[in-house]
Amino acid sequence: CENRCCPVHLLTDRDQTSRAKMFLSAAVRSAVSQTARQVRSLHRSAARAGAGGIFVHRDTPDNNPDTPFEFTAENKKRLEAILSMYPVGHKQSATIPVLDLAQRQHGWLPISAMNKVAEVLEISPMRVYEVATFYTMFQRQPVGKYFIQVCTTTPCMLCNSDSILEAIQNKLGIKVGETTPDKMFTLIEVECLGACVNAPMVQINDNYYEDLTPKDIDNIIDELKAGRVPPPGPRSGRFSCEPAGGLTSLSEPPKGPGFGVRSDL
Amino acid sequence: MLRLPVVSRSFLPAAITKGGAAATNNARTAATATAAASNLLEVFVDGKPVIVEAGTTVLQACEKAGMQIPRFCYHERLSVAGNCRMCLVEIEKVPKPVAACAMPVMKGWNILTNSEKTRKAREGVMEFLLANHPLDCPICDQGGECDLQDQSMQFGSDRSRFTEGKRAVEDKNIGPLIKTIMTRCIQCTRCVRFASEIAGVEDLGTTGRGNDLQIGTYVEKMFMSELSGNIIDICPVGALTSKPYAFTARPWETRKTESIDVLDAVGSNIVVSTRGGEVMRILPRLNEDINEEWISDKTRFAYDGLKRQRLTQPMVKNESGQLIPTTWEDVLTRVAGVLQGVKGNDVAAVVGGLVDAEALISLKDMLNRLNSDNLYTEEVFPMEGAGSDLRSNYLLNTGIVGIEEADMLLLVGTNPRYEAPLFNARIRKSWLHNELQVALVGKEVDLSYTYDYLGESPRILQEIASGTHPFSQVLAKAKHPVVVVGSSCLQRQDGAAIMAALSTITQNVLSGGVEKTWKVFNVLHRVASQVAALDLGYKPGVEAIRKNPPKVLFLLGADAGCITRQELTKDSIIIYQGHHGDVGAPMADIILPGAAYTEKCSTYVNTEGRAQQTRVAVTPPGMAREDWKIIRAISELAGVALPYDTVEEVRDRLYEVSPNLVQYDNVEEANYFKQANELYKAVNQAVLTEPLVPPQLTVKDFYMTDPISRASQTMAKCVKAVTEGAQAVDEPAIC
Amino acid sequence: MASTAATRAAAAASKVVKPIFSRDLDEAKRRVRQLYRAWYREIPNTVAMFQLDITTRQGRDKVRELFDKNKHITDPRVIDMLVIKGKLELEETIHVWKQKTHVMRYFYETEEPRPTDFLSKFYRGHDP
Repeated sequence: CENRCCPVHLLTDRDQTSRAKMFLSAAVRSAVSQTARQVRSLHRSAARAGAGGIFVHRDTPDNNPDTPFEFTAENKKRLEAILSMYPVGHKQSATIPVLDLAQRQHGWLPISAMNKVAEVLEISPMRVYEVATFYTMFQRQPVGKYFIQVCTTTPCMLCNSDSILEAIQNKLGIKVGETTPDKMFTLIEVECLGACVNAPMVQINDNYYEDLTPKDIDNIIDELKAGRVPPPGPRSGRFSCEPAGGLTSLSEPPKGPGFGVRSDL
Repeated sequence: MLRLPVVSRSFLPAAITKGGAAATNNARTAATATAAASNLLEVFVDGKPVIVEAGTTVLQACEKAGMQIPRFCYHERLSVAGNCRMCLVEIEKVPKPVAACAMPVMKGWNILTNSEKTRKAREGVMEFLLANHPLDCPICDQGGECDLQDQSMQFGSDRSRFTEGKRAVEDKNIGPLIKTIMTRCIQCTRCVRFASEIAGVEDLGTTGRGNDLQIGTYVEKMFMSELSGNIIDICPVGALTSKPYAFTARPWETRKTESIDVLDAVGSNIVVSTRGGEVMRILPRLNEDINEEWISDKTRFAYDGLKRQRLTQPMVKNESGQLIPTTWEDVLTRVAGVLQGVKGNDVAAVVGGLVDAEALISLKDMLNRLNSDNLYTEEVFPMEGAGSDLRSNYLLNTGIVGIEEADMLLLVGTNPRYEAPLFNARIRKSWLHNELQVALVGKEVDLSYTYDYLGESPRILQEIASGTHPFSQVLAKAKHPVVVVGSSCLQRQDGAAIMAALSTITQNVLSGGVEKTWKVFNVLHRVASQVAALDLGYKPGVEAIRKNPPKVLFLLGADAGCITRQELTKDSIIIYQGHHGDVGAPMADIILPGAAYTEKCSTYVNTEGRAQQTRVAVTPPGMAREDWKIIRAISELAGVALPYDTVEEVRDRLYEVSPNLVQYDNVEEANYFKQANELYKAVNQAVLTEPLVPPQLTVKDFYMTDPISRASQTMAKCVKAVTEGAQAVDEPAIC
Repeated sequence: MASTAATRAAAAASKVVKPIFSRDLDEAKRRVRQLYRAWYREIPNTVAMFQLDITTRQGRDKVRELFDKNKHITDPRVIDMLVIKGKLELEETIHVWKQKTHVMRYFYETEEPRPTDFLSKFYRGHDP
């Protein structure tokens, strides 16, 4: 099992190096393309090693059908509330919210949790697996208490997200796709999370931390380590996603009635 | 190629093509007029008019016009997925190509199946499909019958513009029957839909997304269905292939023989593929009335049992009790001597479940000529009351297709899922699409659909019959109720009482609002020979033999172990005729090697009463002969020569006895429920308290039920895989 | 009926059978005798040439037997055809295009008569 997982890690590393080499390779591509036509590299679209890059389940000591999982009494009430939203005979529609509930309770989704979801929804476990493997926000491998997702897509990269990633790696001593030994932090690189205006940004669990500098992310991790959840949002003093250098339009209060009207009227 | 409209029109029926272009225009207007009258639409396929019902898909309309649209994911017996995009066609005045399998036609559409745009769309889709498909056709078992291979030859381009690497997917182990090479998968999801819709086992699914999407079970799991082999047939590529057949033969080098399956009483239509006198594999053959296009795993994979444990030469027991091979001349003389040496009444015969009608009639004629009428079947059928005198008493009168019209089904003491998997598939189809309600009396089993469980005591039947059980009201309200009783629960001591109760239930329902032609009562048999044996006048059950042991016992394929050596007298002689050394042969004094169902041209009657014939695919091994010929030869030596020398003459004799036996593919209807009920009123038998438990409860019991499947290694592996997990029978992959 | 018979007779009359060599039976018989003589004279050579383990007498008896086998034939065309075949055989023997085994094949009965009654067929095989 460990051997089989190996290529995935290798590829993840390779993806990283290839990104660094991107500009270099662009320059020589035309020359190389003539000779390197026959190269067959194993192609992978999403390097999601941290969240379980493979789409089959393999029993591990902490993830197997006997992993204990049961909804808490509180969550059972929530479950009732979720199920009541769907008409009779359409329990299957509640797959995503119930899976989310299970993940929030357990931190990630062991196979036993998926089986439990199938049981409460009265559907085949396979139908739950299909959904859980499709959506990348469902973690099918153990993750730390704080799941750090660093955006490194173009806008963030241009705003130096690499420095943020480096800061996190230095601070926690882990690489992308790894979890700290104390099971507190898992670091992962992701594609665009849709907060490009506030680049660079990271998502930690449900919170977006935006307009970051390496120092900011340092503080955030310190806070988290101390057991506090720092307030989400931009760190540059901005309130939200307004322009960084002050308003560029509608910068004055609206004109009162009669503005621009002939004075003789 | 530019196809002139005149050319295409010449293929049309004369009424439309008469005259030139002007007449065609008239025909079009006339057709439109009729279309307006009913709920019909007129569409054009490459300019050729077709009248179709509203809601027909583009693909079906094209099919009706005789134009095949290439497809991978579309399958007429499964729901429409529309994900392969191979069926894209251009429609005049529609901006983009549409997926023909999912798009309902609209009035006046002109579907262009061979336009430049259509061809480009197909070529593009094919290029994408082949981007990730390995080029391993030479070592692929699907080669020669592969949809992707055929369609890429027809519609694909001869080169790809992709230079990226190909996706690789790891293979799954889903049991000893199906070999998976998942890298070849094009994600048509036919297997996923088959599993969830037809088989009712939702084990297969798609995991992951995008380029990494894969078909599988996610967890390591066996695809445990009695119909699992059919996903090999519906897979358009070589992703799912047969494990036992792997690397053994190519489709173009096998000879195909259309035949009938006899391992259950359904009589599925099959094609036996043979090469060089060896059965290479068995495939289903389309028969809408019986098996549609599916067959059960036992039918498909038990064929390797035909090559093992066979009786290939006549044998005789010597003084020390050893069976010694001998010649036909010797053994036939001995048998004839034995038969001549005793009084007629001291001879008895027991026939098993795989015996054909020709052998049955020969044996009956021979014993009758020897003044014996001690002819019994291994299966029991209660003879009190109407017994087997009325044919409607022991048939599946509603028919397999009839289940699709039913709205209420009561199953009694049966597990159709394993006793008759294709009948169960029909029930599931009806349950899924026609709102069929199912209720069960007997042991609670997984039937792949939900049902009302009424309990397992046979007393419930009496309560329903007397109207005290709440279910009798439900049954009375149904428009097309059906009662199916498993033959296994008629084996019990209280079989007649159960039959009497069911007969009363039937009569109650019929005297209610049910139309008079609707048949309610059904028996679901488990063995292929039983209906023919009862039709020919064999007596069910071997109880009489136990009571009155004969001096000579002739076992014709009797392998269920109903009668043992100990139950006979010390000096009685047992003659066994059959094709497998199973249960019957070891206790015999004389063994006559017969032919199995792939080796003889013979008649079988299925549980509906439908006569069908098997055909010779391979010759019987060694010195084995067709069963009726052996009996005919014995009769000549015993001085009571039977008056037929050819199989046609035997069938003439069958026609004399019971014409339905040779009216092939025809169901002779029988409808004597009222008379049966009158006769059953005389039955004075109490039902027992023991629950009704069919012998096949789980899939483990399904695989080995008869001499052929008991001799099959594949079936043995299935049993092992079911009990110990698929890893237990995992073989090292060759590629 | 009469008319059809008449037409048939007329057709037969008008249809001229094209002879192969012989115009009538006598001519055909002459050709047969020629061939027989040729074989008769060749037999001692054959026995010597092929080193056959038979006497000349036996060889000549076999030739006579093979000729007698077809003595019931009266159609000159058929006789001519058989003579042609006989000549071919003779030529092949004279030129030693045959081998010893081919010549000796005339002396073996290889074909058994097929059974006709049920039991013999049964004993013989699966589907005779």
